[in-house]
Amino acid sequence: MQNNNEIILKAINKSYQKGDNTVVVHDNFNLTIKSGEFVALMGPSGLGKSTLLHLMGGLDQPTQGEVWIGGQRIDNLTQKQLTQWRAQSIGFVFQSHHLLPVLSAQGNVELPLALTPLNRKQRKEHASMALQLVSMSERADHYPKELSGGQEQRVAIARAIVSDPQILLCDEPTGNLDRKTADEILALLAKLNSELGKTIVMVTHDNKAAEYATRVINLESYILSQNKAQAEAQNNKMNKAEVSLGSNL
Amino acid sequence: MNIWLLVWRNSFRKKIRFALTCVSIMVAFFLFTALAGINHALTASVSSINQYRLMTSHKISITRSLPINYQQKIAALPGIERVSYASWFGGFFQNEKNQLAVTAVEHTSYFDLFDEYKIPKQQLAQWKKTRTGIIVGQSLANKYGWQVGDKVPLSSSIWMNRSGSFSWEFVVSAIYQSNKQGGDKKIFFQHAYFDKGRAYARNSLSWLSTKIAPNADVEQAIKSIDSLFTHSNSPTRTTTEQVFVQEQAQQFVDMAMVINVVVIAVFFTLLLIVCNTMIQTIRERLNESAMMKALGFSSSSLITAIYLESLLLLGIGAVLGTLLASILLGFIKQSLADFLPGIYISPQHYITVFALVNIAAAFCSFFPALKIKSIVVSEALGGQS
Repeated sequence: MQNNNEIILKAINKSYQKGDNTVVVHDNFNLTIKSGEFVALMGPSGLGKSTLLHLMGGLDQPTQGEVWIGGQRIDNLTQKQLTQWRAQSIGFVFQSHHLLPVLSAQGNVELPLALTPLNRKQRKEHASMALQLVSMSERADHYPKELSGGQEQRVAIARAIVSDPQILLCDEPTGNLDRKTADEILALLAKLNSELGKTIVMVTHDNKAAEYATRVINLESYILSQNKAQAEAQNNKMNKAEVSLGSNL
Repeated sequence: MNIWLLVWRNSFRKKIRFALTCVSIMVAFFLFTALAGINHALTASVSSINQYRLMTSHKISITRSLPINYQQKIAALPGIERVSYASWFGGFFQNEKNQLAVTAVEHTSYFDLFDEYKIPKQQLAQWKKTRTGIIVGQSLANKYGWQVGDKVPLSSSIWMNRSGSFSWEFVVSAIYQSNKQGGDKKIFFQHAYFDKGRAYARNSLSWLSTKIAPNADVEQAIKSIDSLFTHSNSPTRTTTEQVFVQEQAQQFVDMAMVINVVVIAVFFTLLLIVCNTMIQTIRERLNESAMMKALGFSSSSLITAIYLESLLLLGIGAVLGTLLASILLGFIKQSLADFLPGIYISPQHYITVFALVNIAAAFCSFFPALKIKSIVVSEALGGQS
């Protein structure tokens, strides 16, 4: 039985074509993230950390395997269904905040609410609340160009949580920030996890960032151990088959 | 925040680019509207013409005169109901800037043929009795404040009178109205007064107007008239009035065709410019579009937004261009009232502009729409690891 916000990746194969070659990113990859966890995905570049995040958020689809989020299988949904599902279930925070320069902080945070049936007043209230959570109420009327990098990222986090998704997917959220600002952002994410119970998956290269997580997965060793476990399971299976064959003979 | 606000803000994001594109759209719609107004003036006079009226002029040119006895000869032909004639006087009032369309007409028959001029019976009867009388269009009477009984001197740059002067004395006998747009800006006076008064070319006329019976064969009537004078000193060329007016307007119509081609070329170029602008716009905002997709906005909602943006850009340009042309045509209408009456922008033209703006917006959104559709969010937002 899966919990509400549990993330399960089952036997994921992900590959893509590069010219005549097929590049395999993940081969028979499995991962379960429990509801309410704050997981830091770490490891060297090229291992497919962001790919995993995109698979969890329905931005990408596996070549083979299953992706289950909150008890719903999403890898077989159409693009239209995925878009609707994302609007309700997932909040994204990227390394580049991608705030719209033509909208104020308030406007940017209200943006995802344009997809909801909330009226203008309700949208305003929700956005104000989200900005308050990230301590940006005083800057609500400021435009992105008038904000610092840390403030922009705070607004991006407010935008990610405004429609109250239970899962936050963060791709290098502190990659462009100085240490002090990065710590503030990480503390904010930890607060969202501990106080509001958001399940957070964060891709990061920053060892310090990982300290804020409740679980750290080093993808390189995780894959190695997974492969070893799979190999052992395979050997055990073969041994059992040999024993069974010998006794029959 | 709603999608409309986003469209509005995005439109004015690159102010200079927006303004320049807007100006090019404005110029195209200005040309389109101005031409439509002038085209209307050129074609309106042709469309409402009686098919059963024939015009006979000198075979070589309308500037050459015909003998006045041609009227009786034509009238004697079978199938002819009535024949009248006229001569071009030209003329101006007070100074050459006030050019007027003045025609000397055979007073007993002319208005039996041309019943589109609405003249009060009493005034018409009075005019027929007054040798120096003129019938003036209502617009002209209003313009110069003329009333029945007023004495009006008119000058001609062609016709000298017997006293050696180019100034002719007239008295306003009647004021007519016309159901043809711009048709009440002419002046008519008696051909008899003109013929006796002029210093030269007496007993001649510029053209004859013939009304044939409704069941008569038009082609046959034309042949009969022209064959009557084939071997005379003044051979004739007869056409229906419609063809006659068309030929007079031909030089303008041809010019209109040239302008039409230019306008089409301008529109096509404009379409490419706006299309290119929109493609560039969407390229610049690829990451933002990808982010909006990640947030849960569908491709169709993003395509709608880009369509609305194109619509706004084209709409502002079209409204400004059309408005400017309408104002300008208003002025031109006043100054060319005597020679090119009927400058008019029909309500259908505005519907056409509206439709064009929508079609152009749809066309200009097509390629950006393909781009939006093909955005792979994970690639556009980029994985860092």
